[in-house]
Amino acid sequence: VSPPGKPRLTSCRSPEKETFTCWWEPGDDGGLPTTYALYYRLEHSETVNECPDYRTAGENSCFFNKNDTSLWVNYNITVVATNALGKNISDPVEVDVVYIVQPKSPENVTAVVVHEDQGPFVKVLWEKPRTADTRSGWITLLYQLRVKQEKDKEWVEYDAGRQKYYNVFSLHPGKYMVQVRCKPDHGFWSEWTKTTYIKMPDYL
Amino acid sequence: LNDLLERASQLSDKLHSLSTSLTNDLDSHFPPVGRVMMPRPSMCHTSSLQIPNDKDQALKVPEDELLSLARSLLLAWSDPLALLSSEASSLAHPERNTIDSKTKELQDNINSLGAGLEHVVHKMGSSSDNLSSLPFYSNSLGQDKTSRLVNFHFLLSCFRRDSHKIDSFLKVLRCRAAKKRPEMC
Ligand code: NA
Ligand code: NA
Ligand code: NA
Repeated sequence: VSPPGKPRLTSCRSPEKETFTCWWEPGDDGGLPTTYALYYRLEHSETVNECPDYRTAGENSCFFNKNDTSLWVNYNITVVATNALGKNISDPVEVDVVYIVQPKSPENVTAVVVHEDQGPFVKVLWEKPRTADTRSGWITLLYQLRVKQEKDKEWVEYDAGRQKYYNVFSLHPGKYMVQVRCKPDHGFWSEWTKTTYIKMPDYL
Repeated sequence: LNDLLERASQLSDKLHSLSTSLTNDLDSHFPPVGRVMMPRPSMCHTSSLQIPNDKDQALKVPEDELLSLARSLLLAWSDPLALLSSEASSLAHPERNTIDSKTKELQDNINSLGAGLEHVVHKMGSSSDNLSSLPFYSNSLGQDKTSRLVNFHFLLSCFRRDSHKIDSFLKVLRCRAAKKRPEMC
């Protein structure tokens, strides 16, 4: 048995520029019951605070709700592991919430074949992730979709900008896979959505 | 007004992206001692400006005040960006040519955005024009090459944060103006 190994802060992410969560990897527990505490200090303050909510975001995480989240200020964050033989502190991480925004994936992706004189095309529609308040302009999301046939190796990507639909022209007949993702104006891409399938008919 | 705010948001978006790119250029070769010497963000000359720092606060601020905040911040960066622009070409940094041209681009962009926001003020018919004064009292980045590099980086990091504030406020204004075209927000 020994004091705990050094825990490691792995990432902090905000899905909507309103709340955020930090996750850590526990180090070795030294063979003893070990507890973890996250502490943070704001850049303009000397006060050290403990994590306000260890439960909401699951194991080895700390959730900062709206009241505990401010923008344009650095949070200096550390995790302390403690067991009966001693303590170990993670390297500190500095985050400003505006730089860790990663939205949830878009929702309700649908794809339909639209028949027009020049031939059919596929219209893909989706909705914003529910948690992101794009309507007020508080967060701005840009969308991207990708399309391929099951047998294809490579996806073809299309940028949809701020629009929540995209018309894909000149697809050959066959069954296509479609996925959509979004990113904030300054931040990280979401995960791709689960695949939506659409069958492009023969022209004749 | 829609089009003016759309154009303004594109410029503020560009400003922030450019400042991020410049920060990365500087970070590519930055002496470790520089990080130790870097002043704290609370030393930024704009840090005294009271701004809404979360969504609930920001959405409560009336449109003309949100616009004034963005314009006050922009105005506060006119002199410091001129200083950065005059110093960039002589920085002790291997990427100084790239840094120089991006800094000039920043300066051009804040001038265009400033002019654009003047039009927005007229279009919105804002009666109050209470811009906050945030004076910048320095006309040099320092005597030796390390101080000049550190102060350049420090000012840029202040600007990077402020340009994100400007961008956020303008995008809120853009969506308020675009109520008839909610599909863009
Ligand atoms: Na937790
Ligand atoms: Na808050
Ligand atoms: Na959007």
